[in-house]
Amino acid sequence: MSKNKISGKAYLAELANNVPSNARRNFLKQGVKFSTGLVAAVASNEAISGNSTALDVPSWSKSLGSGVVSTPYGIPSKFEKNVIRRTVPWLTADKISSISMSPIQELKGIITPNGLVFERYHAGSPTVDPEQHRLMIHGLVDNPLMFTMDDLMRFPSESVIHFLECPANGGMEWRGPQMEALQFTHGMVSCCEWTGVRLSTLLDEVGLKSKAKWVLAEGADGAGMSRSIPLDKALDDALIVYAQNGEMLRPEQGYPVRLFNPGWEGNTSVKWLRRLEIGDKPWHHREETSKYTDLMPDGRARRFTYEQEANSVITSPCPENPWGSRGSYQIEGIAWSGRGKIKQVDISLDGGVSWRPTKLKGLVLSKALTRFSLPYSWDGAPALLQSRAIDETGYVQPTLSQLRKVRGTNTIYHKNSIHTWQLLSDGKVKNVQLK
Amino acid sequence: MYNSSKISIAITCAIALLFSAAALAGPKTSYGLGVTPTKEEIALWDIDVRPDGQGLPIGKGSAIEGEAMYEAKCASCHGSFGEGEGRWPPLAGGENTLKDDRPEKTVGSYWPYASTLWDYINRAMPFPAPKTLTVHEVYAITAYVLYLNDLIEDDYVLTQDNLAQVKMPNQDNFYADDRPDTHNTRCMNNCKKPKDIVIVQSLRGITPEQEEEQEQGAAKVEEKAKPTLSKNALAGEAPYKQSCFVCHGSGIADAPRTGDKNAWASRLKQGTPMLIKHAIEGYIGDAGVMPPKGGNMNLTDEQVTAAVHYMLEQN
Ligand code: HEC
Ligand code: HEC
Repeated sequence: MSKNKISGKAYLAELANNVPSNARRNFLKQGVKFSTGLVAAVASNEAISGNSTALDVPSWSKSLGSGVVSTPYGIPSKFEKNVIRRTVPWLTADKISSISMSPIQELKGIITPNGLVFERYHAGSPTVDPEQHRLMIHGLVDNPLMFTMDDLMRFPSESVIHFLECPANGGMEWRGPQMEALQFTHGMVSCCEWTGVRLSTLLDEVGLKSKAKWVLAEGADGAGMSRSIPLDKALDDALIVYAQNGEMLRPEQGYPVRLFNPGWEGNTSVKWLRRLEIGDKPWHHREETSKYTDLMPDGRARRFTYEQEANSVITSPCPENPWGSRGSYQIEGIAWSGRGKIKQVDISLDGGVSWRPTKLKGLVLSKALTRFSLPYSWDGAPALLQSRAIDETGYVQPTLSQLRKVRGTNTIYHKNSIHTWQLLSDGKVKNVQLK
Repeated sequence: MYNSSKISIAITCAIALLFSAAALAGPKTSYGLGVTPTKEEIALWDIDVRPDGQGLPIGKGSAIEGEAMYEAKCASCHGSFGEGEGRWPPLAGGENTLKDDRPEKTVGSYWPYASTLWDYINRAMPFPAPKTLTVHEVYAITAYVLYLNDLIEDDYVLTQDNLAQVKMPNQDNFYADDRPDTHNTRCMNNCKKPKDIVIVQSLRGITPEQEEEQEQGAAKVEEKAKPTLSKNALAGEAPYKQSCFVCHGSGIADAPRTGDKNAWASRLKQGTPMLIKHAIEGYIGDAGVMPPKGGNMNLTDEQVTAAVHYMLEQN
């Protein structure tokens, strides 16, 4: 048998930071071409009052619109075409094991519409027939059980609002800023109302043996996505979810049923869930060894890094939402913590020299996106904008230098550092990092 | 189904309320839902393997046996020596690089347990046709990948009893989550000196354009062409999506892209029967490796033939 020594070669498949040179060439076309129609229109009042046609009775006021059920399942206005998920093609070898980001720069409030929730597949999004689908629970239990979807929906249900985040969110920027768009720097996070049965209810039904300590969750997709979940989490707030934002799960989100672990890295919330095995030890499967472990500078690696620590980012302004004329603005953004509620978000305009508190807006829920805002009168001065979240455990979102000091630049996952936008005097916003 | 279950939910909600009130008082609730799977049914689904070997089916295989299987089913993506073709992940190499500026995490350099390799190949590979390998193939190919990483000899026969004894070099270098590991404080004023701030700008040229790229994917091409498909080609749509799209949809591994007229023009001159022969038997051309049946040996010759028709009718 012949065998050559393998020459060194970087593995790009997950979120490696090195960009192949041919991909770079492909994306040399630059520019913030995608700024929204909305911003362009609102940006300047002068433009509107200078435009006589805006005062004319518009055609839609003098005619009839389309009737009911012209789109039986409604779709957004055609003027919102730019509000879509996007991917970074050079990140992965193909689109089947890949990721897309939510357009968080366009979203309002804390709920992500179902069609805009970020996607992450390891073998594509399967088409699962709910009639045929079963969820089996077995292992260290008294009575193994197999449920149909109908069975699952007959248990008492709960609805909770929680964020879902890929631990690789922001992972492209450990070494330096790379992405001139909020959608790409932070878009692997979404927040929905999730409806389902508490996992503890189902575990009660099967009856746990005294040695039970871990749960293996396995998906029905081609990847058979599998993760080991400590029993404590399963008995605490884990849910077996079949609906999101009022309707059945989207296929992308695990139709017809998924696990949901509030506050934990997204891939533990196994989609297209078909099997839960109870055991006394973790399984150390590929998605908790080769992937989703955090390589530290000393060459060792952390594993089972489940929690998503407190994070925040300013969504307006951002590269996609530049400011136009001077005057009143709301600096606005989102914050979240996998450990509980957001208690406070501060904003800095001078790169972290001084900070001012913001107001939290609307619902402030545990392990959910939380909105903050600060009214601001802009005089055209350049600024280095940052937001810093503090959660109810007292944890303060770290600076990038603090994170790098402990973790180096090769951990890929869990980059939750304070983010910096550079606001230029022409209102454009650039993605920068501060040393 | 969903209509009927919605109604039943409404009804059971009320009942469940009564139930849980009772549950507080004493014995465990039992909703009486679900069926008890038989031992055989559980065994059919219970595919997971643990580091101590629990879950491994009875079987065996050596690297010598695995070489040809790997070459046929894995090498087109992962390379003959595990070096990784194009953008596909490498499976070998990278020893002693974990502290480097650009670490190479592979089965040999990073993975803590050999059981993980068996489990993953069995559940998820080959990528275009997961869960199609026999137990013997999984043992033999696992042995081959371990062999490529210098972890076992080529004639070592891997079995359900000795897999757990293969010690991976990096096994002891994993530890439990010890975060929070940063301790920022909530400073409000004079938190740093303005003159110390150094601004690092972003790399130019790698942010994807926001408009076209995504919409021009192969999916779009397919949709456009659908109404005119022949019966033969229609039958090929499912196998194509399952086993061919992964390469021919994106042009990855230098496969000719479906719908890309230029890429197919010269190939068509060979005549359809030759293209079908190449798709069924596999071949190595100037562009790269076309694995037999796209790596999914479960496809019948008819299905592959239909998939070729489906591909050609997209042009
Ligand atoms: C069509 C291309 C393709 C073929 C053929 C293929 N794989 Fe893979 N393989 C992939 C991709 C893509 C991934 C990464 C999937 C992911 O991360 O979700 C992968 C991942 C892996 C990994 C994990 C690598 C890591 O570092 O985590 C192993 C091991 C593996 N494949 C083994 C095999 C074996 C063995 C075969 C043959 C039986 C095979 N593959 C055939 C594309 C392929
Ligand atoms: C692992 C990637 C991969 C998969 C999966 C794959 N192909 Fe290919 N295919 C290739 C490559 C690469 C070539 C070009 C080889 C060359 O000419 O150098 C090719 C070429 C072809 C050709 C042209 C043959 C010729 O003589 O020019 C046909 C037809 C074809 N493939 C059909 C299929 C079908 C049908 C499937 C699914 C059953 C499939 N392929 C799956 C990589 C793949």
